[in-house]
Amino acid sequence: MAQYFLEQARVADFVAHLLASNTVYAPHRKGSRSYAFAKADDPAAVVLDYPRTLSSVKKFFLPPREVLLNFDLTLDAASVPPVEPGNAVFLGVHSYDLAAVRRLDFNFTTGNPERNYLARRDGARFIGVSYVPDKFHFAGSVGIDPYDMTGCDMFLTKHADGWIVDIPTGEGSELAAGFKLEAHDEPKPPRAHFTQHVFVPQARLGKVMEASYDHPVWNETADACLGCGTCNLVCPTCYCFNVQENVDIACTSGQRERSWDGCMLRGFTEVAGGEFFREKVAARQRHRVYRKFKYISDVTGQPWCVGCGRCTASCTAKISIVEIVNRLIRDSERDESILT
Amino acid sequence: MEQQIQQFGAGPRELYLPEMAVITEVRRLTELETLYTVELPGGRDLGHKPGQFVEVSLYGIGEAPFSISSSPTRRGSFELGIRRVGMLTDVLAGYAPGRKIGIRGPFGNGIDVSKFTGKDVLIIAGGIGLVPMRSLINYVLDRRDEFGRLIICYGSRSDSELLFPDELAAWEKDPRTEYHVTVDRGTEAWTGRTGVITTLLPGLALDLPNTVACICGPPVMYRFVVMALRGRGLPDQNVYMSLERRMKCGVGKCGHCQINNTYVCQDGPVYNLPDIAKLREAL
Ligand SMILES: Cc1cc2nc3c(=O)[nH]c(=O)nc-3n(C[C@H](O)[C@H](O)[C@H](O)COP(=O)(O)OP(=O)(O)OC[C@H]3O[C@@H](n4cnc5c(N)ncnc54)[C@H](O)[C@@H]3O)c2cc1C
Ligand code: SF4
Ligand code: SF4
Ligand code: FES
Repeated sequence: MAQYFLEQARVADFVAHLLASNTVYAPHRKGSRSYAFAKADDPAAVVLDYPRTLSSVKKFFLPPREVLLNFDLTLDAASVPPVEPGNAVFLGVHSYDLAAVRRLDFNFTTGNPERNYLARRDGARFIGVSYVPDKFHFAGSVGIDPYDMTGCDMFLTKHADGWIVDIPTGEGSELAAGFKLEAHDEPKPPRAHFTQHVFVPQARLGKVMEASYDHPVWNETADACLGCGTCNLVCPTCYCFNVQENVDIACTSGQRERSWDGCMLRGFTEVAGGEFFREKVAARQRHRVYRKFKYISDVTGQPWCVGCGRCTASCTAKISIVEIVNRLIRDSERDESILT
Repeated sequence: MEQQIQQFGAGPRELYLPEMAVITEVRRLTELETLYTVELPGGRDLGHKPGQFVEVSLYGIGEAPFSISSSPTRRGSFELGIRRVGMLTDVLAGYAPGRKIGIRGPFGNGIDVSKFTGKDVLIIAGGIGLVPMRSLINYVLDRRDEFGRLIICYGSRSDSELLFPDELAAWEKDPRTEYHVTVDRGTEAWTGRTGVITTLLPGLALDLPNTVACICGPPVMYRFVVMALRGRGLPDQNVYMSLERRMKCGVGKCGHCQINNTYVCQDGPVYNLPDIAKLREAL
C-alpha cells in the first residue's frame, strides 16, 4: 500500500484541511498532564502524540448522559428525541480505542440493535495514530498492536519529525483529497515495547477465570478498593447505564435520561426489599474482571479488555487489572502443575 | 426523525419508547398489593407467554418491570399485580381506572408451555411470587386437558397477605386442582397450616419423572425449595424458576440484570435449573 509522509510542522494544516469540510474530534490537552477527546476548533490545539486520553471516543457514541425520551406530563405523552447521525472524523485514535469501538458495536447490535448508539456511530471515520506504550498500556497482550490499522480510514505512524501516513480506505482517500502529501517508501520504525503484559492469551484466560472464582485475590483487592466505580467510567468497553427521570420546575414536561453506570457501585444490583445481589466489593471486582475476560469473551473469543490501562492509571487505590489477572494465571498454573 | 429511521431501513426499532395503555380496572388485593387490568390501544392482545414481564412507565416518576399476572388465554387486556415498595409503585397505588400508563414489552423468555404438555405441573409460589405464577396457573386451568395434575403450593408471611382470595377459594374447591397453602405466622383467624413453604413439599405424592416444578418467590426461598425438591428426587431438568434482578432497560443493554454470564431480561426471567445450577450468583 502506498505510504505518505506528514511533517509535524504541517499537522495543524492537515487538521485545518479536515475541519474545512468535517466535524472533527481529536485529543487536546486538559490541564497540565491529561488529554481528552474534544471537538477540534483550533488546529494548533490538537495533540497527536499523547499517552492516553481520560476517556475514550466511546463518549461520542454513548454519551455520559443522553435523553431517551421527552415527555409531556399534561398530555401523558412521550416522544423519542432525534439523534443526529454522527458523521464525524475521529482524529488521533489509538488502536486499542478503536478495538473498543468494535466491541461496543457488537454489544449494541447483537440481540436488540439500539438506534441511539447506531445513529451516533453512523458515518464515523477514523484516523488512527500510533503511540508509545507507557507503564500502564498492555494492549499487545490482548492482541492489539500499536500500529494496528483495523477500522481506520487513515493511519499515522510516528516517525522522527513527523508521521508516516497510510490510507487504507476510500473514505480515507476522500479525507486526504486536496491535501498535498509526499510519497514515503521507507519502512515504519520498529514498534516500541510494552512494559506491562498479561502472561497468557485469551484462549487460556477463560479457563484461568473458571478456576479462579473463589481465589483470595478478590477479597484482598476488595480490602483496598473504594467501590467508587471510576474503573467502569474510564473503561472504553464498559457500557452499562442507569435510567433516571428529570422533571422541569413547572412539572409539565421532562426527560427520561440515561447515564453511565458501573458494576463496581453498590447499588447496581439493588432490588426492592433491600436485596443486593453483589453486595460484597469482592464479588463486584470479580464481576468487573470476568466481564472483561470471561463472560462476553467465552462467546466471542475476544478479550473485552483492550489493554488501555485507564482503569489502573485512574484508580485511587492503585488496583491493577494486570496484576489481578497475572496472579490468577500464576496460581491456576501452579494448581495445574500440582494436579498433573 | 423519519429520515433516520428510513436510513436504517427495517433496522432498529424504538427500544425505549413505551406505548400508552389504559388501566381499566383496579382491584385492591391486600394493604400493599393491587391488581391492575391494563388495555392496549384497540384492545390489542399483548401477545405474551406466562412468565414474561413488561416495563411500566409513569412519566416523571420512572419505569419498573412487572410480571404479567394474567394468562394469554384471557384476551383483550392483561393484568399486573403490584406491591407498593417505593416511588413508582406508591404513585401507581393512587391510580384509578381511566389512568394511562406506558408499557414496553412483553420482555424476557417466559415459559415454554409446550414442554409442560401432558405433565403434572407443580407450582411453588412464595409471597408476591404468586403474581407471575398465576399466569401459568390460569393457562393450565384454561387448557386443563392438555396437562396432568395441577398442584399449587403457596406460602405467605401471614394470612392477611394472601393474594387473590377469590381465586384461592376457587382452586381449593376445584377437584382438578390440588391446592396447598401455608403461612409463616397466622393471625388468630387462621386455621390452616403454619410453617415455611418447604414444609408443604415432603407430604406431596409426586409422579417424579412426569412432574415439572415452577418456582417463584423472594430471593431466599429458591435455595431451600431446590434442596427440598432434590430431596424428593425430582430431577433438576424438571425444575423451572423465575428470577428477579434489578432492571433498567429490559432489552439486554443496561447490564443491571446480569447473573454471571446471563442476562435475566433476555435469557430469563424463567430458567431451567440445570442452566443456572452452576451459576454461583443465581440462587
Ligand atoms: C422480572 C421482574 C418481575 C417483577 N414482577 C413484579 C410483580 O409482578 N409485582 C411487583 O410488585 N413487583 C415486581 N417486580 C419488582 C418491581 O420491579 C419493583 O418492586 C419496582 O421496581 C419498585 O419500583 P419503585 O419505583 O416503586 O421502587 P423504588 O422507589 O425504585 O425502589 C424501591 C426498591 O426497589 C428497588 N428497585 C429499583 N428499581 C428496580 C428495578 N428496576 N428492579 C427491581 N428493583 C428495583 C430499589 O433499589 C429499592 O430497593 C419485578 C421485578 C422484576 C425484575
Ligand atoms: S477505580 Fe479502583 S477503587 Fe474505584 S472501584 Fe475501581 S478498583 Fe475500586
Ligand atoms: S478493563 Fe481497564 S485496561 Fe481493560 S479496557 Fe477497560 S479500562 Fe482499559
Ligand atoms: S434489564 Fe437492562 S440488560 Fe437486562
